[in-house]
Amino acid sequence: MAQEASSSTSSKTISLKTGDGEIFEIEASAAKQMKTVQRLIDDLGDDITIPLHNVFSKELPKIIEYYKKDITGEITKDFEAEFVKDLNDDEVKVLFLAANYLDANKLFEFLSQNIADRLESKSVEYVRKYFGVENDFTPEEESKLREERAWSFRGIKEDE
Amino acid sequence: MMNSLGRRGMEEKYFPHDLIIIQILPRLPVKSLLRFKCVHKSYLYGFGYDQFRDDYLVVSVSNDMTINYGVNSQLEVFSLQDNTWREIEGNFPYFSNTWTDDSPRVGLLFGGDIHWLVAKMAPGEDSSDDVILTFDLMERKLLEMPYPDDFDFVLYDNCALWVFGEFFSLWVSDHVNCSVEIWVMKEYKVHSSWTKTLDFSIEGLSTWYFYPICSTKTGDIVGTDGENVLQKYNGQGQLIEHESYSEDPLDFLVTLYTESLLLLPVDNMQV
Repeated sequence: MAQEASSSTSSKTISLKTGDGEIFEIEASAAKQMKTVQRLIDDLGDDITIPLHNVFSKELPKIIEYYKKDITGEITKDFEAEFVKDLNDDEVKVLFLAANYLDANKLFEFLSQNIADRLESKSVEYVRKYFGVENDFTPEEESKLREERAWSFRGIKEDE
Repeated sequence: MMNSLGRRGMEEKYFPHDLIIIQILPRLPVKSLLRFKCVHKSYLYGFGYDQFRDDYLVVSVSNDMTINYGVNSQLEVFSLQDNTWREIEGNFPYFSNTWTDDSPRVGLLFGGDIHWLVAKMAPGEDSSDDVILTFDLMERKLLEMPYPDDFDFVLYDNCALWVFGEFFSLWVSDHVNCSVEIWVMKEYKVHSSWTKTLDFSIEGLSTWYFYPICSTKTGDIVGTDGENVLQKYNGQGQLIEHESYSEDPLDFLVTLYTESLLLLPVDNMQV
């Protein structure tokens, strides 16, 4: 049966299935804020469970929580502070990458700032591990770089 | 929003480089940025032969991952004949946009050029575009090639340059449809000749991954599942063979080698 292009009514929910097989419901208006999800809905229809291979049951509920608040216009600085308060750096990273995958811009921008804030006073080694990059400087190159900008290392605990 | 989607599932720690450079670093204060210049060098390199000058070259495109009035990578070339590195001046707003984290840093040698998949910083510095970066070994110049026109970045979770048969090619894995696509440039350097020649399902495999490594003379594709199984698909996209090559998944890298014979100099013989 042919379906008309659906205009999302506020009561319409979409089913999302995570990479680890769990299913979550989200309102259609919230799904609209996630461009990847919206694209999948446009391709697959809104009556089908949308597969999100790259997002898992640990992070999706948190993302849904954010957008539930967003569609009612209730996102405040206080809410955002509370939202990330109990998350460790790795948990924020996972959320950030999921927001990138889902093309959920508002959350993506917010988490970008949160990550920058968290990394600001961290050591070089911590940042390497966090971004998953290797140290590809030679010892001489690295000590030269550190010497040249010694002032920027002041007050930073390099072993954290 | 960035094009690169990072690697699906397997490596949660993986953080796409373009996200680091465009989304995170610009939000840091100067003091942190200067410190973080020590974090990582982010480079691309390649090896090739300049037949015009009978010279072997190593090419390096590197930047230190922080933004200082615009991303500008350094282009340096080592020539075996000159036995020295030389920097080539220019504006190179490119950085590695690693779709996989294993070896796209190493450029693909094809058609007398070295190629990489990179991100190019947009003039406004608030976003990046994906392009194919090419180093012409004879002209010793960096050039760009766009991706095929109907390339659907959103659907792809992995992508790499490749040589399929005799063609300059791209393979992509589409995580939504659980499939792999092969695109070839039927005529090298002719943009309109990009064609999707193969689109096959990799569903039903234990992992959802397939990484092409090489193609056979009969047009079959050999690759790995990302863990410890080698697979061969035929030209119609059907799985015709698979073989586990190690007990320990994730502990091996697979590569291709070509045998060749060299005549070694003997006594008064000249090479």
